[in-house]
Amino acid sequence: MGHATIEWVYVGVVIALLTWVGAESWNVERIVEHVPAEAETIKVIGQQWFWTFEHQDGKKETGELHLKQGVPYKFELVSKDVIHNFNVPDYTILMDAVPGRVNVVWNLFDQPGEYHIQCREYCGFGHPTMKAKLFVEPQTAEAAGNATAAPAQAPAQGENATSTATAAPAGPPGTPLTILEGSSVQGSPDFDPDTLTVKKGDKITVTNKDTLPHTVTSGASPSDPNSAKQFDTSIIEGGATADIETTNIAAGEYPFHCTVHPYMMGKLVVQ
Amino acid sequence: MVLEVKQPRPMWEILFSTHHTDIGLLYMISSITALMLGGGLALALRAELFLPGLQIIQDPTSFNRFFTVHGTTMLFLWAIPFAAGVGNYLIPIMVRYKDMAWPKLNAVAFWMIPVGAALVWLGFSDTGWTAYPPYSIIRAPGPAAEMWIFGLKILGISSILGSINFIVTILKCRHPDLSIMKMSLFSWSILSISFMTIVAVPTFAASLIMLYTDRLGISGFFNPAMGGDPIAYQHLFWFTFHPEVYIFLLPAVGMLYEMIPKFSRKPLFSYQSGVAAFVLLALIGFASWAHHMFATGMSFTEKTVFMVGTLAAVPASSMHVFNWIATMWGGRIKFAAPMLFGVGGIMLFFASGAGGVVNTALPLDFITHDSYWVVGHFHLILMGTVSLTFTGFIYYLFPLITGRMYNERAAQVHFVLAFVGVIFVFMTQHLLGLHGMPRRIADYDGTIPGWLIMNQIASIGAWIAGLSYVIMLVNLIKSAGSGKEAEMRDPFKIGEEYYDYTRREPHH
Ligand code: HEM
Ligand SMILES: [Cu+2]
Repeated sequence: MGHATIEWVYVGVVIALLTWVGAESWNVERIVEHVPAEAETIKVIGQQWFWTFEHQDGKKETGELHLKQGVPYKFELVSKDVIHNFNVPDYTILMDAVPGRVNVVWNLFDQPGEYHIQCREYCGFGHPTMKAKLFVEPQTAEAAGNATAAPAQAPAQGENATSTATAAPAGPPGTPLTILEGSSVQGSPDFDPDTLTVKKGDKITVTNKDTLPHTVTSGASPSDPNSAKQFDTSIIEGGATADIETTNIAAGEYPFHCTVHPYMMGKLVVQ
Repeated sequence: MVLEVKQPRPMWEILFSTHHTDIGLLYMISSITALMLGGGLALALRAELFLPGLQIIQDPTSFNRFFTVHGTTMLFLWAIPFAAGVGNYLIPIMVRYKDMAWPKLNAVAFWMIPVGAALVWLGFSDTGWTAYPPYSIIRAPGPAAEMWIFGLKILGISSILGSINFIVTILKCRHPDLSIMKMSLFSWSILSISFMTIVAVPTFAASLIMLYTDRLGISGFFNPAMGGDPIAYQHLFWFTFHPEVYIFLLPAVGMLYEMIPKFSRKPLFSYQSGVAAFVLLALIGFASWAHHMFATGMSFTEKTVFMVGTLAAVPASSMHVFNWIATMWGGRIKFAAPMLFGVGGIMLFFASGAGGVVNTALPLDFITHDSYWVVGHFHLILMGTVSLTFTGFIYYLFPLITGRMYNERAAQVHFVLAFVGVIFVFMTQHLLGLHGMPRRIADYDGTIPGWLIMNQIASIGAWIAGLSYVIMLVNLIKSAGSGKEAEMRDPFKIGEEYYDYTRREPHH
């Protein structure tokens, strides 16, 4: 009957369409996946809940990645704990960082600017805040001239005033604030003391006795709109120290937290 | 709680019964309850995401627990048990046998569900419904994770027992006069998913045990620190759960085959095509599991194989759609509530199928993977197609089960709100995914262009859909007690025989 003929034609059309989709995808993916031989290697380390990057020349960065425009980069992804996913949505970079494996993904950045890096595989409490910033710097002096005109290039955006925290603090140490060992585990004691009281103008010296990076950042949580408005040490690597100056902080009570482990919370009282 | 007008009975008689219609009813009531509870969690999640920051659910871990239990509830306490309930009610009638093959086993399978449900809800785990290690073994807090593991274990056994019962009932207890190529397509759908369950579920059942011993620290199957491999879990998991996606879907397909010809007042376009599509899908459904894992670092060859396997399943699904459209073509369609939900479900099936092809196309998957696109995509099929069709079938069976008629006007309002709500939520989420928003996040950056407004549209859509189901609940409860008595020969006034107990042969 004519019945069946119509259906066969229809199924034929569907199969033809799918074959086209499949062939085209196969072809594109084959080309896209091919890593150029001259690509520079960046080691990307994911762990709850921050990203660390190691450049080929040994330079390390945490929470920020500085790359050059027009250079092919090969990212080698590893994880220290659970599965994460290294994702730069603006450049369609997406690959799992799996503990026990090394996954590879590559890209060439053609536009200088600032981009979001985020985690796209569920990894627990801090998954929503497991982010980093990607800075693509213009390649040549001439390109640099062009790029300063571009708005995306502004280097220090807004509140991020104190970003040299990992440098050894100058002068005598101030009032101590200690980040205890094991702080990264939810529920463990974290800041010592939990409520720190200082006089306006006093210096605070934060010592990270843990093995993982932490921050001391004003605001109740990373999503607090006032987060980092009053003070922010940025990342303090394990074993390092950082200073907080209180000369410009008005008297009052300020909750603070660690942006890497947002359940680590404390309070600063400035008199 | 006495539902049959003609034959009122006390509640306890239904509770302790092993008769297939009673068990079927218990399945349906408990799964509709689960739909409401799971829906409540979904509305809370959407309320939290209405604004950036944390307002309703203060702690990200609670948010994670909410979506885990929402997903688990919707899949294993709503979709699967509802299909089993309708199967229980109708299969013996359709194959003309007095009951299911093993009535006591049937009751046991049902009563395992509340036990599994209690474990899942009292534990309130935060692993995500996929429970990927190493998170689920080294970081997820206990005893919630253990309770989730055992809850799923019990639900898995329940559905295997139910499936065995269905297979034997359909193959061995079918009336000798009824050849297998004459039985209803709904029976074919239940037969297909029962076979798929028996082949697919044991793999996950085994990996649950491995997860548990890994959590205890006595094994390291999936723990890289002990030489294991977390990706192995994902293969085992998806070997079960990709076929399971069709297990959620096929009963809805079978229900559409019941409703579409009836409300189109036309014979089905092609019975053979329907059977062929069921069998094909049941086989090919096993060839695509690793398409959920393109971003785990698979080799190019592996990715190609699973892309082809996934695309190969599409013609079978599209044969069903063709069959329905060809059946409706030129029919005198009666748009009562069941048909509205059915047609809405078919439209969204088409949309989610098209989205699925996009996910399969390798380079594009790296845009959509684990973003809100995926959330939109799987909800289009699970909420849009499966749940809307199930809802239509609830209305369709209502006169058969209760002997009363529901309020048609309220049911139509329910449809319009649910359909609009679903489109608002899940179409918007596709776009949100293309704008780069990851799934499973309690908080998001509202300054990224588009994110704030799209999340708000999605939340409003969710509340509209939620409201529509409140209307259904009120309608069902009121009508079951005091609705108009249904005219049992033809309650929808189609001009054709409705289910007939005496002839015991549903007909299209
Ligand atoms: C209008 C109704 C619904 C709404 C508003 C809704 C909403 C949500 C939300 C907000 C999430 C969390 C997404 C994320 O953060 O990644 C989610 C996840 C999920 N939903 Fe729904 N949902 C609905 C209906 C359903 C139905 C009917 C099913 C299944 C039959 C379902 C199955 C799931 C699953 C499996 C997940 C994933 C959970 C996980 O990530 O572990 N949902 N839903
Ligand atoms: Cu993550």
